[in-house]
Amino acid sequence: MEEETREFEEKAKKVFSAERKEDMWVLIMSAITVILGLAGIITKNTFPSLFF
Amino acid sequence: MSATAQNGLQKYIPGLILCMILGWSALQWDYSMNGWQKNFKECQKILKANAEHKSPLPFDEYKAKPAEKYKEQLLLYKQGTLKKEPKKPHILKQDIYESLIATWEIPFKFKFGNKMLEFQLTYVAILLLGGMLIRNTIGIPDSFKPGTVLARPIIKPGIVLLGGYYVWSNLFKVGLVALLLVVIFILGTVVLVSVIGRKLKLDEGLLGVMAAGTGVCGVSAAVAVAPIVKSKPRDFFYAVGTILLFGTLALFTFPYIGKALGMSEPVFGAWVGTSILNTAQLVAAASWYGHDALLTANIINIVRVGFIPIVVLYCIWFYLVRTAAAEGRSEKMNTWQVIVDKFPLFIFGFFVMVTLNEFGVFTKDHQYIFGKQFLKIFFAIGFAGVGLNIAFDDLKKAGGKAFVIGLFAATFKAVLSAIVVILLGTDVFQVK
Repeated sequence: MEEETREFEEKAKKVFSAERKEDMWVLIMSAITVILGLAGIITKNTFPSLFF
Repeated sequence: MSATAQNGLQKYIPGLILCMILGWSALQWDYSMNGWQKNFKECQKILKANAEHKSPLPFDEYKAKPAEKYKEQLLLYKQGTLKKEPKKPHILKQDIYESLIATWEIPFKFKFGNKMLEFQLTYVAILLLGGMLIRNTIGIPDSFKPGTVLARPIIKPGIVLLGGYYVWSNLFKVGLVALLLVVIFILGTVVLVSVIGRKLKLDEGLLGVMAAGTGVCGVSAAVAVAPIVKSKPRDFFYAVGTILLFGTLALFTFPYIGKALGMSEPVFGAWVGTSILNTAQLVAAASWYGHDALLTANIINIVRVGFIPIVVLYCIWFYLVRTAAAEGRSEKMNTWQVIVDKFPLFIFGFFVMVTLNEFGVFTKDHQYIFGKQFLKIFFAIGFAGVGLNIAFDDLKKAGGKAFVIGLFAATFKAVLSAIVVILLGTDVFQVK
């Protein structure tokens, strides 16, 4: 049982460190979008141009 | 890059591509339905004018009249006489207009688009219902699963970008009420579950996970608290199954309950912000209801996920420090380390966006691009991941005592918070 609990604790820790990494990617993706928007590379017409 | 790392990344690609394709298809649906609904309303206006015996105008005149009126109103708005910025008029294309005044019949596709949006079948519903249907009927191959799981947090850049819509005064106005709601309902649930569970002599590990999960932020909080309260693996999976089951039920029923109760968008946003347990499900339900609902729900969610470290600290104190003291042992708690380890980093991105907007970095066009257009792209990919990961087999894992505690806590919180937010009213939760 103790072995099972320890394995589970390790798994939970891994999940949480993955969430940390995930948040870093979230910040990078948001920053890229904002920079592209401020630089005028993505405009109001970019989104409608993706659809028929 | 090492071969292992490459394999690590490659396993996500099929699922991510699937979510992107589904996301794009749903946005295409949404784009078409919105266009058709606008055409439907414009056609109705023209038919109404005809019924009042006004003869139909030639196309050039029909096109010029609203454009002139818009220009006049825009000028008044810029001079400060008009308070609300006028909306650009929607004008039918020439072939559609001419066919309408020839037949006096609204085309079927416009009626269809209007009906679909009346039933709230937006891209959010299409992705969640469609994803769930695919997962539980034809299923998805195992090679697609890692990517669909990875797609879910792609909702978060959307939450960060939405920060460009607020200024600090908005955050303080709604945030202070949100803080009160979070303290009362979320911490209240954590304390209530812990205390009642102890009185009923339920397992400490199960209680700790359920208290955090039903109180603050679903699975993230349950994962954060599980090792601290030494939850048994079986209890943990029961708890996560129960949290997911309630989140899923809430996601699909709350928008319709909100409409039935006549909740305004900000009130609905406040309600889902306090009562739905999981960020992705909360954002999905609020987006389903409308953009103003999302603006309010997002503030409450930011306050709420900021509370994860506090809930973890409470659980350490309640389940470890306090118990150890009662048994004559001593357990130390490193408060600062817990806060640093458990604080969700993406919230900083949201606050940076609010600050940039406060300093006037974003124009109205930027706000529209980030907060309405690109937000939809991130949300669509994330919602595809959410839908494809609603597996009935996982929900069946909800069981045992976790189910009873979850049922009690989630129902109690949802009913009570609905009453409170309705009584507080729209003005309190209106962001702008």
